[in-house]
Amino acid sequence: MTLKHLGRVFASLVVYGLIALAVLFPILWGLLTSFKPRRAILQYPPVMLPEEPTLAHYQRLWDEGVQHFIVNSLIVTSATLVLSLIVGLFAAYALARANFSGRTVIMFVIIAVMSIPIASLLVPTFTMLSQIGLLDTRTGLVLLYTAYQLPIVVWMLMGYIQTLPVELEHAAMIDGHSRLSVIVRIVAPLSAPALVAAGLFIITFAWNDFVVALVMNSSVATRTLPVAVYNFLGFFGRDWGPLLAASMLSIVPVIIVFIAFQKHFVSGMTGGSVKG
Amino acid sequence: MTLLSHSARERVRAAPPKGRWSPFPWVYLVPLLAIEGVFVFAPLSSALAVSFQRYDYFVPGGWIGFDNYIWALGNSGFLNAVGVTTFFTAFATIFTFAFGFGLALMFERDGRSSSLMRTIVLIPYFISMLVGSMLLRWVFSEDAGLFGLLLESLGVEPFSVFGDPNTAMAALVANAVWRDSAFAMMLLLAGLKSIPSSLLWAARVDGASYFYTFRRIVLPLMRTAILITIVRLVIFYVNILTFPLVLTGGGPNGATETLVLWMFRRGFEEYAIGRANAASIIIFLINIALVAIIIFLFNLGSKRR
Repeated sequence: MTLKHLGRVFASLVVYGLIALAVLFPILWGLLTSFKPRRAILQYPPVMLPEEPTLAHYQRLWDEGVQHFIVNSLIVTSATLVLSLIVGLFAAYALARANFSGRTVIMFVIIAVMSIPIASLLVPTFTMLSQIGLLDTRTGLVLLYTAYQLPIVVWMLMGYIQTLPVELEHAAMIDGHSRLSVIVRIVAPLSAPALVAAGLFIITFAWNDFVVALVMNSSVATRTLPVAVYNFLGFFGRDWGPLLAASMLSIVPVIIVFIAFQKHFVSGMTGGSVKG
Repeated sequence: MTLLSHSARERVRAAPPKGRWSPFPWVYLVPLLAIEGVFVFAPLSSALAVSFQRYDYFVPGGWIGFDNYIWALGNSGFLNAVGVTTFFTAFATIFTFAFGFGLALMFERDGRSSSLMRTIVLIPYFISMLVGSMLLRWVFSEDAGLFGLLLESLGVEPFSVFGDPNTAMAALVANAVWRDSAFAMMLLLAGLKSIPSSLLWAARVDGASYFYTFRRIVLPLMRTAILITIVRLVIFYVNILTFPLVLTGGGPNGATETLVLWMFRRGFEEYAIGRANAASIIIFLINIALVAIIIFLFNLGSKRR
């Protein structure tokens, strides 16, 4: 019995280990390679661990101005986060608490935007942004990201606000608080878990997005990190060291945030229903 | 908790009676509706308008009826892309779904090892798609030497993965499976968890085998979760751009050029904006049709049983 049990534990350990290896291998190997000197990278047969670890590739990226693209990404991501959460919270509150004709239409709009693939919007959005002068600007990108993320944000926050006791808001209103102050002082703090979950989705979307930024922001001044990484692919060609180093700059922050907040991520994934 | 008398509660009711117009909800909804209107619905309708015009670079050149559509539908690159997208979507969906289901069954239990494994397999899904594809491009490349080493040990002459149409497509599917299996797992896990465990215990007490229970209880009760997973995977893969753009570049010779990549190149490499808009509309219609077909097939399947 114990031997059989032990065998089973061992077997599942092996299977789990193999799965984890298959999943993480490209990332780990990329990470290790980004610390290897150029000739060690192209060595055949390949060697796993960097024998003489170096930061040369990261230094090279710094010289190419990678910090500028990181700053752009940080600006766009945080602006999208703030704008989406503020607009989303107010809209979600209205949809959760008010019973009005037109609510169904708005819910339909939200679900419709959630199901429209971004790919079919790329070309006309490019044309439109150029007409209104927002093409190749960080503002344009922030507004686009907000438009794409708002439906899921509203959906998540609305579901959460509906579970909050409405009596608290009533009591505050009797005490003379306006609706605005009720939202800011009562609804927003109570919705913290849903705001965190929605915020994480906004952050990962805005930080990771490549396709929208590639189409809209082509100039060096407004380029975000993922587009910069893609351009490095053309610039460095088969010089994999700096390419992999740039890749790591893009994904390591996300991996850290994901592991730290995994519960919130998971709660938001399955269709956006967050339950406290 | 009755802090308020009934009448007081009536007076401060958050929702005004339905039918009487009140500015309250609309004031808070205007920013949402404005942003969606300008950045989603306006482009979508302008795509329709532009698709009927000659429109190159940033210059509109007059109405030309269905010419852009006729051009696209007769274009060999477009037809090739339809084939590539169908093939890729079919295989990527099947494999991602199968792996996702396997992972969901394996990591269903609430234990420390299961939740650790769920976190690990989700990492490729949450990191940048671009970087994921680039890392795989590196792993499969001849420069890395890893794939060559593997082939050598199998006694196969080393070759370029991205130089052969079949292996390039296989790499594309592998990229999809690597990234999205855990996404399918999460959606399917939600379905698995909604099955009352009493039902599974009852079947076990009655002596039903694992596979019998799976076929007769688990699968039927997971219909909705399975439908949602398949619809979301199919829609995601039909609209794929990043994987082929970064991993294979659409090559060799168009063997992995998907529909959206083809559209992307007409629009942003040739700046044939009118034609690219027509392609956008076609892709949009394909999406709607696909969802309708999948739901229809599922209903058909349930009636037959």
